[in-house]
Amino acid sequence: MAQTQTGSFKTSKKKIPVEVQKRRPVYFAIIVVGLILAGIVQNVLAPARNKEQDEGHEMRALGGLNNEFLLLPLLGFRQAAAGLLWVRCDEFFDSGDYDAILPLVRVITYLDPHDTNVYITGAWHMSYNFTDSQERSDRRYIYPSQALLEEGIKNNEYTPDVKFEKGWECFDKIKNFSLAQEGFEEAIATKPLKGTDYYPYGAPLKTYHILAHTYEKEGRIPEAIAEWRQALAISSYFLKKNGGTEEKDFSDYTMQQAEKHNLGENIWRYQDRYLTKPHTPVNTSNYPGVLWPFGGAGKPAPWDVHLTAHIQVIRPKVLKFTGTFNSADGARVDVLIEDWDYKPHIDKNSTTAFAVDPHQTILMDSISVRKDTFDREMDMSKDPKMYNFSHDYYRIVVSFDPRTTAPFVQDRFGWNGEGLTDGQPGHVSIDPTEATFGTKFMNGFGGVGPVWDGKTAPWNQFGQPDHRVMVTFKVSLQQMLGEKPITNANIVPNKIMPLGPDMER
Amino acid sequence: MATAISIQGLTKKYVDVWQKQEVIAVNNLNLEVQEGEIFGFLGRNGAGKTTTIKMLLGLVFPTAGDAALLGAPMGDNNAKNFLAYLPEETYFYDSMSAWDLMDYYGRLFKLPKNVREQRISICLEKVRLQKDAWHRNIRGYSKGMRQRTGIAQALINDPKLLFLDEPTSGLDPIAHAELRDIVASLKDEGKTVFLSSHQLADVELICTRVAIIHRGKLLRVGTIQELVAGQRTEITVQGKELMNGTLAKLKNISPDIEEQGMSTLVIQSDDTAQVSAIIDVVRGADCSVLSIVPHKRTLEEVFVETVRREEESL
Amino acid sequence: MSVIYAVAHQTVREALRRRIMWIFLIIGVFLIALGPVFGFLSPRDSLVILKSLGLAAILLAGLFTTIVTCIYLIPVEIDRRTIYTVLSKPVQRYQFVLGKFIGGFFTVFINIAAMGIVFLVMLYFQMGHHLAPDMVEGVVLTFFQLMLLAALSIFFSTFATPVVNFFLSFGIFMVGNLTSVTDTLTTSKSPIAALAGRIIYYLLPQFGNFNIMNSLIHPGQNITNMQVYIRNCIVYAIIYSSVLLAIAILIFDSREV
Repeated sequence: MAQTQTGSFKTSKKKIPVEVQKRRPVYFAIIVVGLILAGIVQNVLAPARNKEQDEGHEMRALGGLNNEFLLLPLLGFRQAAAGLLWVRCDEFFDSGDYDAILPLVRVITYLDPHDTNVYITGAWHMSYNFTDSQERSDRRYIYPSQALLEEGIKNNEYTPDVKFEKGWECFDKIKNFSLAQEGFEEAIATKPLKGTDYYPYGAPLKTYHILAHTYEKEGRIPEAIAEWRQALAISSYFLKKNGGTEEKDFSDYTMQQAEKHNLGENIWRYQDRYLTKPHTPVNTSNYPGVLWPFGGAGKPAPWDVHLTAHIQVIRPKVLKFTGTFNSADGARVDVLIEDWDYKPHIDKNSTTAFAVDPHQTILMDSISVRKDTFDREMDMSKDPKMYNFSHDYYRIVVSFDPRTTAPFVQDRFGWNGEGLTDGQPGHVSIDPTEATFGTKFMNGFGGVGPVWDGKTAPWNQFGQPDHRVMVTFKVSLQQMLGEKPITNANIVPNKIMPLGPDMER
Repeated sequence: MATAISIQGLTKKYVDVWQKQEVIAVNNLNLEVQEGEIFGFLGRNGAGKTTTIKMLLGLVFPTAGDAALLGAPMGDNNAKNFLAYLPEETYFYDSMSAWDLMDYYGRLFKLPKNVREQRISICLEKVRLQKDAWHRNIRGYSKGMRQRTGIAQALINDPKLLFLDEPTSGLDPIAHAELRDIVASLKDEGKTVFLSSHQLADVELICTRVAIIHRGKLLRVGTIQELVAGQRTEITVQGKELMNGTLAKLKNISPDIEEQGMSTLVIQSDDTAQVSAIIDVVRGADCSVLSIVPHKRTLEEVFVETVRREEESL
Repeated sequence: MSVIYAVAHQTVREALRRRIMWIFLIIGVFLIALGPVFGFLSPRDSLVILKSLGLAAILLAGLFTTIVTCIYLIPVEIDRRTIYTVLSKPVQRYQFVLGKFIGGFFTVFINIAAMGIVFLVMLYFQMGHHLAPDMVEGVVLTFFQLMLLAALSIFFSTFATPVVNFFLSFGIFMVGNLTSVTDTLTTSKSPIAALAGRIIYYLLPQFGNFNIMNSLIHPGQNITNMQVYIRNCIVYAIIYSSVLLAIAILIFDSREV
């Protein structure tokens, strides 16, 4: 009972038993040592935990808004909440209430950044569902759509789904095949996690198929062929492994039949276009930079497509395109109308939505050619939200791209437009980006490239660039509004945008 | 006989929230209780009885002073093996049965299972809790049954020193008498009981010694005999001569004289020598003694008187 | 030890007799059972919903069970004066506090185990008779998170009333979960905010450590070595609970009952 009460002041109001007091230092020691140890463990834990937030890019989409600001996610209901919101989103798709979808998609991807369906559907929605009164897509949404897919890829690097979708959008909507190739290759290169039942060969077989199609569109035929062989090898292995026969495993069997057919067709086309004997590779092209390997006997000289384009402004913002294009019926010339300094971007990337810049104008369309002429009205007056013309100058491009054209037209010009030219040398534009080059013809196949062994396709040497035929106009706002006519004086030198008009960043 | 409880200068002050006013719950208490005693600790509600017991058991901590229980300092954990406490108005864990409750308390004393079971039976039988209730939930017990369980609980470790806080309050007369007898019987087993109560009749009946505490201050300590001692005698005398000087003589002996009419006096005294002297004076004065009535005081009277006197002196 | 065990045993008995504990358990099991229903509604992989909802239900029901159980363990003994009968016996106060904590946390364990088994069995059947070891990890981490919360509630109950305790425990649980806010504060340019961040980071229990549900549902997404992480979390829970209990005992040792 030695609680001291020295002097005139009380040291304590309570006399705690000595026995208890003796234990106090032990408790203090536990507290101090414990807090230090807890701090050390915390310092080990925190970086591992922070990785989730820093590398997961989960916050980026919400402009830095933290997870904890929503009570439901805090309590662990993130996936559940996201799932329920997605149900709601589905209803909006059904009812056509498209404006409500984007904000929801944004919140859902934030709540559950691993729901690949939401990224895929959201991106598809943006790039396909916003259209003008003539069913033309609002190309301003391409960039956010791609950005959403990029975000989805970063958050889901262990699944091929979003990567495939990115490739598909580039293939089908943007028609930028080198980007599409990148997407599909990434999807195939996906390293599946242990314990997940993802495809042991990276991505679903359809990815291999579309990659092969992509190579073909790029004019890289040997690689397309190699890809079909690869797909065939995979499907054969699995059919055999699963004991699949035509009767037992009909869908796999028919898939394999399609692979065989496409492989055959690629080989056949390649042979037919480039390898018909006798064959002497001589460059007969008049135009510098245009390689023309088909000058030999049995092949026609380059075909002059003779592109001309005239633009008449009928009413303000209503443009009538007429011109000539000397090719088979069914070829299409592409039309691009955009702000002269158009730069794709996301306007106000906010916590709840991707928004597009309301002051930007871009239109992309194509006109089919009949009897070597084309004629079409482009009415932009009815959709001021999409085409608001708030800039001073506009770029109008009328062009033909042999890579996107129909096979029967392509059969005339080659995959890269090798057999095509224009009376006006300035009309032929060549994309100088090496990544977009088609196959360098193989040794013995009309070129001096590597020997193709039919299995591997490490094609790092590419030959033929895309030969596009283009006319570019620089037009002022007054001309767009019909206050001044658009004449040949407005024609300016072509400028190839390597990644395409939508993808420049 | 050894000292069971020895308290020196035990003080407990509470300071109110604003640190301005001090409330003294127990004020410099000095007390000794011998082994084998049933010691009555008397006081009004809030006199500091429970606070004193809690201090002795280490439940609250004194501001100053010291105490020893069975030779060990208060709050000593080993000494608690020989102590028992029945708090006032305990609810217990009422979803347990008396048996389970006793079993739990037995475990706290680290009694082995067989010893525990034996003790539980002995204790529950001793407090006469009917057997069919042993395994029933305490929730359904009557007040008397709860109180029996409470005492049984206090006996589980066969303690040497028991603190019982109001063990018999609020019971029906039969239960009251039974429990009182049980407490009284503890003395026969050589146990020391520190009984806090204001059931003065009980205390008078079973306690050997008693202390009276009021507002934290110890007013009186002693055996019942000591406290009620000095029995008062009332003498009534009559005579015409009384008022002629005899009254003055009588007043010299005892000042406590009441005049009743012209010829009667009622004289009070608690001293036998005084009584004889008064009778001598009365006889010598040719007056007659009408009655000599001895009055034995009760503990209650002593208690009330003591407390009243203390109140008046403040 | 036997005294601590006796107190713990009695605490579990009492706690299991409280109706509220069973209500939370039933709500938890009900929410888990609801999982497949949501999965059916959603076009999303139903397994993910089931896992997310299941772990969330276990955490929610466990959270309330823990708080509601632990905040009352000591105050109820004082209210009913049963603590007098206990502490007047050869029971040290630290034994009482430890016994109460172990009892409380064993009650929580029973609760979590019950819900966890229902959850895992349900998953077993939903996944075509496959066990989900990652979800076992999730349940284990939830349990240790709640053990830390139990220690926190016991600590507060040595000096606060149950109502105050409820808000304190719940509030600290929330703050401890706001890990990214704490991180933002810690790296803030303002020295005061940075200091506040550091204090929260080192002095308050970091409940956010245990929230790795997202990573579990999508395995390997973010945390590279889950085994090590889980082990560290458990070590953290044990160390921090010890600290809280030491403070609780320190306070309770000089508390007048």
